[in-house]
Amino acid sequence: MDYYKIKFNPSVHKKYLLRILRGLPASLQSMDTHRMLLTYFAISGLDLLNELGSIPNKQSIIDWIYCLQVCDDSELVSGFQGSSTLNTPFNCGQNANYKWGHIANTYSALTTLIILGDDLERIHRDSVIKSLRTLQLPNGCYTGAKDGCEYDMRFVFCAACICYILDDWSGMNIDKTVDFIIKSISYDFGIAQAPELESHSGSTFCAVATLALTKQLHRLSKTQVEGLKRWLLNRFEYGFTGRPNKPSDTCYSFWTGGALKILNAYQFIEAADNNQYILVTQDRNGGFSKWVNTVPDPMHTYLGLAGLSFMKEEGIGSIFPDLNVSVRAHEHLKSLHKKWREG
Amino acid sequence: MAESSSDESETTFQLYKDRKEWKDVVPVPQDDGEQPIVAIDYTEQFKDVFDYFRAVLQSGEKSERALELTKDAAALNPANYTVWQYRREILKALNKDLNEEMDFIEKIIVYNQPKNYQVWHHRKVIVEWLQEASKEKYLTETVLAKDAKNYHAWQHRQWIIKTFNLYEGELEYIDSLISDDIRNNSAWNQRYFVVMGTTGFTEEVLDREIDYTLSSIKVVTENESAWNYLRGVLLHDKCGLSRNKKVTDFCQDLYNSGNRSPFLLALIVDMCSEQVSQGNKDPLYNLEMAKTLCKELAEKYDTVRAKYWEYIAETVDKKSNKEDSQVDAEQ
Repeated sequence: MDYYKIKFNPSVHKKYLLRILRGLPASLQSMDTHRMLLTYFAISGLDLLNELGSIPNKQSIIDWIYCLQVCDDSELVSGFQGSSTLNTPFNCGQNANYKWGHIANTYSALTTLIILGDDLERIHRDSVIKSLRTLQLPNGCYTGAKDGCEYDMRFVFCAACICYILDDWSGMNIDKTVDFIIKSISYDFGIAQAPELESHSGSTFCAVATLALTKQLHRLSKTQVEGLKRWLLNRFEYGFTGRPNKPSDTCYSFWTGGALKILNAYQFIEAADNNQYILVTQDRNGGFSKWVNTVPDPMHTYLGLAGLSFMKEEGIGSIFPDLNVSVRAHEHLKSLHKKWREG
Repeated sequence: MAESSSDESETTFQLYKDRKEWKDVVPVPQDDGEQPIVAIDYTEQFKDVFDYFRAVLQSGEKSERALELTKDAAALNPANYTVWQYRREILKALNKDLNEEMDFIEKIIVYNQPKNYQVWHHRKVIVEWLQEASKEKYLTETVLAKDAKNYHAWQHRQWIIKTFNLYEGELEYIDSLISDDIRNNSAWNQRYFVVMGTTGFTEEVLDREIDYTLSSIKVVTENESAWNYLRGVLLHDKCGLSRNKKVTDFCQDLYNSGNRSPFLLALIVDMCSEQVSQGNKDPLYNLEMAKTLCKELAEKYDTVRAKYWEYIAETVDKKSNKEDSQVDAEQ
């Protein structure tokens, strides 16, 4: 079929991501508590583009991230905040009411630090892990923070990543986690956010990555693995979808693609022009959006780049899907683990 | 309040620093460090409201005016879970009428933030406090009427049905959704949830659900949701995927009528695979049929997954060789 093929334009994405790091307009105020997550999207994206060198203030970023670390063993809320919204000149450097780590921000902080080559020496590892353990619920799932948060598979994944990065699995009762994951497998073999809910690519990725990180993939039966592969492969239409009979969305290129990669089944839908859906959402000023002719945002930009990485797009580095960081960053983490285990 | 109306609200909004009734409180600025990253260019209103929110968190004030402040803070950033958490603490401290709170949060969910985690969580907590779920089905139906696949709405709905045993009438509701959109995967999932939570898949229910699904497939033969549901139901059939006569007759008739829905072909391949695994030499559901259909899928009917269907053909072949060699060994 003859049609105009869109070309990947890495330089505009580099500019877009650097702009994010510099700041956001008031129209994105509702992202205030997610600044750590946005930092991760921007930096991991620049890493995939091999453009970490163009970040002018790496040390400032590392220092800002560490400012948001909470170490509080009495309230057991250690981890990282998403932003400085609750930080004041009066509670600077101290623990205070509501100054709590949130599991997604702890994940974002740790991944960003390793991408930037930090040695994690300033992390209060034992404290973070001890607090993390209190976020696990009796059913094996994780909630986001000490109080007032929902629970679902996203936070299970965050927990697994935190344990993996800090090389300390005492933050998780792995059997209970696996039990929660298996109970969340749907009748169609996709995996839902929690038991009995609808299977979804996002939660499927989170579950599969968790099983990979905890080295528990073998707990799935052959039927479950084959059913899962089929379910994931069926997500591919023109781009990837998140659920049966829903439209394609750029971010599923990562969630679905990542899960397929982990299960060694990605090659079954490999094709030369699979990148076209993602590229059709490419904005000429940089960034990717969810759908065609929609405004780009940091999440879809990063996950679009990650999806293109699986498609071996020229100009994008390889990604380690289990943690959702570059292979290079993962190698740096492994060198830290070696040091810790020997020291 | 939706982002798009924030400009309008700016012109009528009185900053907290200008309000007489807040004169006794000193606003507390945000400490963003020396070089903030992904710094947001907050509006004056945002800075003002959160300066006062930080002040109130610091003093621990739990009053009517603090409650009103959390409303403004939540409107500016509904994803700030601390704002919602503190609001709940004030509601408890003041022993507020939670039914009023239910009305308040309902409006936010329905008109502004149907996909926000914090507002649904807030609703869930208030319902738990009240132990009163009579409005929840209506709330979720209102949200689903605008977006029939809203995951938060379905999650909330499942929670109230399980917690308060409200399964009655749910199958009828699902029927209406499937009539509106036969491809509504969320509705099919809910069907499975209801059956599992009530009768279970007894022989009678199994039969009923198979009839229901096959009628649906007749209408749209390329509906993944219905085929997935059919397989889900057959998981409870003692005879497995390939020995339910209604289903096998249906598939054969559909195939013979010329239909080549990739889901139909895939199911027949799986039926063959099951028969081969069991070592049966079925005249129809056998290795040859599996290989033929995998080839058709790879070359014509599901080309995008061609490599996968080649892999499946190899898998069934391997299973067949394993069975043959086991038979040889036994002989």
